[in-house]
Amino acid sequence: MSEFTVGKRQRRLLWGISVPMALIALTCVYPVFFALNNALKSNREYILDRFGIVSEPTFQNFVQAWTRSNLSEYFFNSVVVTVLSVLALIIVSSLAGFALAVLRFPLRKLIFVVILASLMIPVQVVLVPFYKTIIGLGLLNTRAGLILSYTAFFLPFSVYLMTSFYSGLPRELVEAARIDGAKLTQVWWHVMLPMGMPALITLGILNTLYCWNDILISLLVLQDNRTLMVGIAALRGEYTTNVPLLTAGIVLAAAPIVILYLVFQRKIVSGIAVGAVKG
Amino acid sequence: MGVSKTKQPLRKRGGKARSEERRFAFLFVMPALLLVVVFRIVPLIWGFVLSLTDARGVTEGAFIGFDNYAELARDPAFHDSMANTILLIATLPIWIMVPMLLAILIHQGVPGGKFYRAVYFFPATLSSVIVGSIFNVLLRNDGQLNQFLELFGIGAIDWLGNSNTALLSLIAVQLWATFGMSLLIFLAGLSTVPSDMIEAAKLEGASMLQTFWHVIIPTLRPIIEFVAVVTTIGVLTNMFGLIYVLTAGGPGTSTTLPEFLIWIELGRMNRPGYAAAISMVLFVLMAGIAYAQVRIMSRNVNV
Repeated sequence: MSEFTVGKRQRRLLWGISVPMALIALTCVYPVFFALNNALKSNREYILDRFGIVSEPTFQNFVQAWTRSNLSEYFFNSVVVTVLSVLALIIVSSLAGFALAVLRFPLRKLIFVVILASLMIPVQVVLVPFYKTIIGLGLLNTRAGLILSYTAFFLPFSVYLMTSFYSGLPRELVEAARIDGAKLTQVWWHVMLPMGMPALITLGILNTLYCWNDILISLLVLQDNRTLMVGIAALRGEYTTNVPLLTAGIVLAAAPIVILYLVFQRKIVSGIAVGAVKG
Repeated sequence: MGVSKTKQPLRKRGGKARSEERRFAFLFVMPALLLVVVFRIVPLIWGFVLSLTDARGVTEGAFIGFDNYAELARDPAFHDSMANTILLIATLPIWIMVPMLLAILIHQGVPGGKFYRAVYFFPATLSSVIVGSIFNVLLRNDGQLNQFLELFGIGAIDWLGNSNTALLSLIAVQLWATFGMSLLIFLAGLSTVPSDMIEAAKLEGASMLQTFWHVIIPTLRPIIEFVAVVTTIGVLTNMFGLIYVLTAGGPGTSTTLPEFLIWIELGRMNRPGYAAAISMVLFVLMAGIAYAQVRIMSRNVNV
């Protein structure tokens, strides 16, 4: 069918268009190739040939970045904070989504609007009072402070997505569980969490990206005990001339996200679409 | 008989169950509501109060009315950040057209479309710190881009060190890093365009260009609006990381945007009152656009 509708000329046109599109695709992967290629060079080799492909690969830069530049410490810090923040986001947003979408209670609409409207208040707009709040609560330089901050700032979209997902589920599910005499906490655990899995996995991946990649909030909250992105930014400042070492740090910092993307590419791409189609 | 047996206790439980439902519902939304109120809504009001004081460092500062705002009106760094913002906003059509065009092409069946979709989105998954650090090396005076251009006989340009090119470089890098996101939104929107409409247009003998203008673009209108809103919010509030590692706002103030100025006034200058005033201006700038986003989003959920 399509062979008749798409003419020969159009097909040739599409192939022609494919060329600039391939070039754009090349620029999208080049920086990662660039980082990996130069991370494997010795500083001497880099200075002699900045453009070429590595000839004598060395892992020295990775070792130095990991140990002497403290990236191992920052890496661990980022893993702990990201994992706990994502867990908190999943629990808090699925509880709230359950209540807002399924349960009946006064002020429900208002509470939903308040949570959604806080999207209008990004961290820059409240930078000073947010910082003072963190100090006032004794959370400065604590991981708990950073986890709470991430949960607060990435929450509205998560609550929105869970509310919209749960409101699409048949209400009978909950009614049936309740007639069986299940408590609402049990309904959440045994019905809402499993049923919400597709949306929760999407949220888990997206929030992992946000938390792992953040720099502004973590610069403010964890001033002594750096996260990985703050560490990379500092590494860039200290070693402007030692590009191999810097790129080794970059590769280490990007690796978890690149692996996550390679594994969950389909899920990530369609997850973004789920949020978008709503618009 | 069995029916009446189960119906009786259910009705009896009705009142009790409803009050229990209410109690649990409040319990369930409380963590979310509390976090949002403590970290965002109260700070917004507090920030406005702070912007009316001359707080410096950790001292509380006295009430000075709108003096901070008056000083903003005279502050050349603030003027520059506003001018940069205007230039940034002026490039918005590119931010919308590029991903839209690519999305339409992928939707029209360019060979390897699925592959392009995955690759184009890839930079959007990387941290702005990583993107900024890489481009900081690539765009140096002796960097790889200039080396590459030299092959075509183009002389070296100090992309980041020259105030004429620094902002454009920053914009280009951010565009490169985020166009994949808008592309996915457009693709999601295109998948809702009825394909028989496109087929019909083709059968009528419409060219690809005519199909674009008369079938695809009109049905994409709400998506274009949504992307415009999301992109505007993104460029107003999501460029801190990139500025921080790519240019640090310089040279001079040529890549300083309001969100970066807030950081400088709070951190380097230690003037929280003044920083809070810039925050309020940023809030007013984006509030209208963000309101549109919240409206669009809430339209789609039946609560």
